[in-house]
Amino acid sequence: MRRPTARLLTALTALGLLVPALAACGSEDKGSSAGDDGAALVIYSGRNEKLVKPLLDKMEKAIGAEVDVRYGESAELAAQILEEGDRTKAGLFFSQDAGALGALSKEGMLEKLPQASLDKVDAAYRGGEGDWVGLSGRVRVIAYNPDKVSKAPDSVHDVVKPEWKGKVGFAPTNASFQTFVTGMRVLEGDDATRTWLKGLKENGKTYSNNLATLDAVESGEVSLGLVNHYYWYERVAEKGEDKVRTKLHFLPGGDPGALINVAGAGILKDGGQSAVAQKAVDYLLSKEAQTYFAEETKEYPLSAGVTSPVEDLPPLDSLEAPDIDLGKLESLQETLAMLQDVGLV
Amino acid sequence: MGTSPQSVRRPADPDPDGHPAAVSAAAGRRRTLRTLGLLRPGAGTTARSAGSRPPWVLIVPACVAALFALLPLGYLAVRALERGPAYAWDVVADERTLQLVGRSLGLAVVVVVACLVLGVSLAWLTVRTALPGARAWSVLATLPLAVPSYVAAFTWLSAAPRTAGFTGAALALTLVSFPYVHLPVAAALRGIDPAQEEAARSLGHGPLRTFRRVTLPQLRPAAAGGALLVALYVLSDFGAVSLMRYDTFTWAIHTSYRASFDRTPAAALSVVLVVMTVALVAAEGRTRGRAGHARTGTGSARPVVPVPLGRWRIPALVWCAAVTAVAVAFPLGTLGYWLAVGTSATWDLGGLGETAWATLGVAAAGAALTTLLALPVGVIAARHRGRGARLLEQAAYAGHALPGITVALALVFFAVRYAYPLYQQLPLLICAYAVLFLPVAVAATRAAVLQAPPVLEDVARSLGRRPLRVLREVTVPLAAPGVAAGAALTFVVCMKELPATLLLRPTGMDTLATRLWTETGAGSFAAAAPYAAALILLAAVPSYLLGRHRT
Amino acid sequence: MTNDLHIEHLAKSYGPEAPVLRGLDLDVPGGALAAVLGPSGCGKTTLLRIVAGFLHADAGSVTVGGRTLTGPGVQLPPERRRIGIVPQEGALFPHLSVARNVAFGLTALDRGERRRRTEEMLELVGLAGYGDRMPHELSGGQQQRIALARALAPRPQLVLLDEPFNALDSALRAGVRADVRAALRTTGATAVLVTHDQQEALSTADLVAVVRQGRVAQCDTPQGLYRRPADPWVAGFVGDAVLLPGTVDRAGRTATTALGTVALASPSEGSGSGTVLLRPEQLRLTEAESGGARGTVTDVCFYGHDAKVTVAVEGVDAPVDVRVAGPVSVRPGEETGIGLTGEATLHR
Repeated sequence: MRRPTARLLTALTALGLLVPALAACGSEDKGSSAGDDGAALVIYSGRNEKLVKPLLDKMEKAIGAEVDVRYGESAELAAQILEEGDRTKAGLFFSQDAGALGALSKEGMLEKLPQASLDKVDAAYRGGEGDWVGLSGRVRVIAYNPDKVSKAPDSVHDVVKPEWKGKVGFAPTNASFQTFVTGMRVLEGDDATRTWLKGLKENGKTYSNNLATLDAVESGEVSLGLVNHYYWYERVAEKGEDKVRTKLHFLPGGDPGALINVAGAGILKDGGQSAVAQKAVDYLLSKEAQTYFAEETKEYPLSAGVTSPVEDLPPLDSLEAPDIDLGKLESLQETLAMLQDVGLV
Repeated sequence: MGTSPQSVRRPADPDPDGHPAAVSAAAGRRRTLRTLGLLRPGAGTTARSAGSRPPWVLIVPACVAALFALLPLGYLAVRALERGPAYAWDVVADERTLQLVGRSLGLAVVVVVACLVLGVSLAWLTVRTALPGARAWSVLATLPLAVPSYVAAFTWLSAAPRTAGFTGAALALTLVSFPYVHLPVAAALRGIDPAQEEAARSLGHGPLRTFRRVTLPQLRPAAAGGALLVALYVLSDFGAVSLMRYDTFTWAIHTSYRASFDRTPAAALSVVLVVMTVALVAAEGRTRGRAGHARTGTGSARPVVPVPLGRWRIPALVWCAAVTAVAVAFPLGTLGYWLAVGTSATWDLGGLGETAWATLGVAAAGAALTTLLALPVGVIAARHRGRGARLLEQAAYAGHALPGITVALALVFFAVRYAYPLYQQLPLLICAYAVLFLPVAVAATRAAVLQAPPVLEDVARSLGRRPLRVLREVTVPLAAPGVAAGAALTFVVCMKELPATLLLRPTGMDTLATRLWTETGAGSFAAAAPYAAALILLAAVPSYLLGRHRT
Repeated sequence: MTNDLHIEHLAKSYGPEAPVLRGLDLDVPGGALAAVLGPSGCGKTTLLRIVAGFLHADAGSVTVGGRTLTGPGVQLPPERRRIGIVPQEGALFPHLSVARNVAFGLTALDRGERRRRTEEMLELVGLAGYGDRMPHELSGGQQQRIALARALAPRPQLVLLDEPFNALDSALRAGVRADVRAALRTTGATAVLVTHDQQEALSTADLVAVVRQGRVAQCDTPQGLYRRPADPWVAGFVGDAVLLPGTVDRAGRTATTALGTVALASPSEGSGSGTVLLRPEQLRLTEAESGGARGTVTDVCFYGHDAKVTVAVEGVDAPVDVRVAGPVSVRPGEETGIGLTGEATLHR
């Protein structure tokens, strides 16, 4: 045996001995919080920690309970909750999109929310069974570069026309884009959607995400971009409005391109934390929390009576979004198959 | 019993008139045969424990390890058949499944071939030739292990968006996984008696032909073992293929979770992945052949005279530099760029340090448990032939091509039902690492035990040691360098693991990988860069030791 | 207390087509050093591994000092057999010092006794003071002697040596062999040396068992084996042999060949013809005109201490070898007379 190996071995052995001790210390202060006493709340959050942690910290004080948050991808957390079944540790599921909430609702894992909470949110942005509420909304819009075009089209159907060839940017792997396509399929049928996607592929340029799409519009690489509204407002907040050339166009007339996605929350029946989870939902619907969403993420607050303080943001009730039950957009699988078929992903 | 010297009179000493020439001729021929590799060490004279049953002290823990590794399969069976076999069959018996199998295998084949070219060429150049700075290159060639596939994919994507798709996926996966081939092949090259190559040269073979006919066949088991790990890694990878937008089997499984929130089709598809794995493992088993690898000689091997490169010196250097540049310098450079453009506000040294420490802790515990479980399986795989031993080893590999999310959900399933107090506690996460990375450690252990002459175990038995003590006092110490190398490798892969860590970590705990996921998820690459850099640098330490390690 | 090794009807096959041992019997008296001699593939290594307990026999028994180690329903594991082994090339544990190698089997002793015994063993093999070295710092012969010390340290009833001198160069071999024999004699352990080298077997052992196709073809003292081989194959295996057709006299005490008449080592039953077996050193060259048998020298090989002269004899099909001590006075092509001494064996 040579010396480096001996040293490596010693180091590994030392680590091997050290770690169980470390693990023991680390686990002491965790785990005890999950709520027999009803005072603590475990949240499974599909929303990014960077985004919601400050809010949840505030919430901890507001509801007077310790809050433990497990962050993950919404869909994977939903699968985890389904796998946990009636022994789930989660009191509240905070999802990035409606679909994951719909999946739990379908399995009967979510608790019916009090009517008072539900009533704060427009029926379009909550679960059909009354077991989840939307907390914030994201609108699909068309971003355009006024140096390249004077006016953006009023419908996503127009961007597949020949005059836009090579001028449309979009992010086919982005979940919001895929939800929008699913909405189009629900509204207009698979054949029409497929034809539209083929046209888009012909005309468009693909980007890895919404931000990249927006940057491409800003640089003039493309004239139009199919994106979520808040990316633009974040850019403006970051750089100042005069530094951002790109403008947004909110589509009128219930166009599928104006779909509103929501992030929302539901209470787990078997989490054993209903009371405190209920307080959390009410807090998240409160003006403080709703304003936080509006200011931090430039999303639409969904709670009645709260309007976004963001400048230039059209009021929610002025938007003409298509009429779709967001929790039932379960045919995303077929949407993906279609995108693959067309060759976009 | 005491000895009583001289108590037994011996008959008078014989005085035969031997024939020295004839005697030494026979012995000499044997030695020459062995030197040429034509007479396998031990062959003919040592019928190794072929067919004999391993001792219980090995079988029991090995079965525990195998059961551990088979947990995800049990879960898949439950989930896939939840709506009846007909439904599962419908999911699988689809044209699209076949397409995905083709795409996944296609990617695996390309990556494996590329890894073999990179791994074998670098191993040969750094071990056997007079390459300037061979030792440094050897270490550098190991460092890509430290780069997570999703980081590699991301850096390539941001620098060259056009690589998205098959090219990008193959590129990113090759550049992070070729050390799986390089390491075992380099070790095998060091183990080959240089006299064999000299003998081949004296028999009229040129250097290339010698390499092909004498060296390469002996590298085959090592290369095949590495190639298997690469292939399984490619099949199970989600990070790189999703970023590169190349649709593979793993992606379809993820889509099933993400798009339809349905675990049944995901499980049915995962079963296909398991079948592919078993086929690959069986194929690798066939390449091993029946050759024994143990050296019986105890004298130290003669130092190898490096092959002079002559006018190939510059091209060889360029080749090494190019590989290092794209596999190591490029991702680090990209991260450096992000760090440079990021605002100082994104630096949180305290948080970074804490996360790094926690990462080291879980990864070390994961590596320790995995190595411990792999030990009996590796020893049995190395020392015993027969169906039982083979099955045991295959069981260890069975779940290795499954995406992390599937393994994680399987552990959620079992822990919630049968080990609830452990659920979302560190021990369970550490167990998940063991399930995920058992084959990495088994492969290393097996190779290490094969290098230790089995006759030493016989001697220890005859000196009164029971099998377990033989394992502890002889086999493990002799195989220790190789086992430690396997542990270091496991340590690195544990550090990089993301999907299972996300689901199974104690609430509130972060590793560098989960932090990296959080930051990139929020779109703040500058904030993500310190975590990625810390991950790569920390993983580089054991990788560096692996590169320096000489068997 | 005797440590007799008693092997009875030992059988082992690797599959139905590959019998290796076919009912092998062997008895070694306690304290003796026996060599098991045979060509490659004769089963001698299988025999050794069964005796050591690494392989299970299909049938038969192995008993040492009255204790059954292998037998019907008995299969003692290697660690409980009290059998020391000295493998090919020593096989010292490379990760342990010489002293710790030697002490490896001394777990039952306390620390002081263990050290005392280790030093005693190192002294026995002539390597006192080498305890702190690592195996790779020793020469091949030293490694081999340490391997023996390691095997002898726990006072085994039986020591098995598996071609232990194979890897040593011939200059070293005789010395190591003598040391090993002396050490074995000092401890009084019974020993079995497995080898394919007849010179090694004859020069080292008290008793030599020649194994052919899984059976003991002959077991005798080295002298007995050499002088009275059981058959021509054994004769050829243990040394150079001269085979001549011959006729036995009525009494069965002498045989007449083309080279003359020779006494038989053991009386033959009845007269008639047969093959007479002699050793080359029993032939001697005489003056061409001495009146005995004559032949033409075809080749002379000089070895230093002796020489071999090959002679084509009239009336004998194959040329015969004659071993000549001292200076050789004949050259190829010359005529020579040829005569016989000593006793021969007759094989029909």
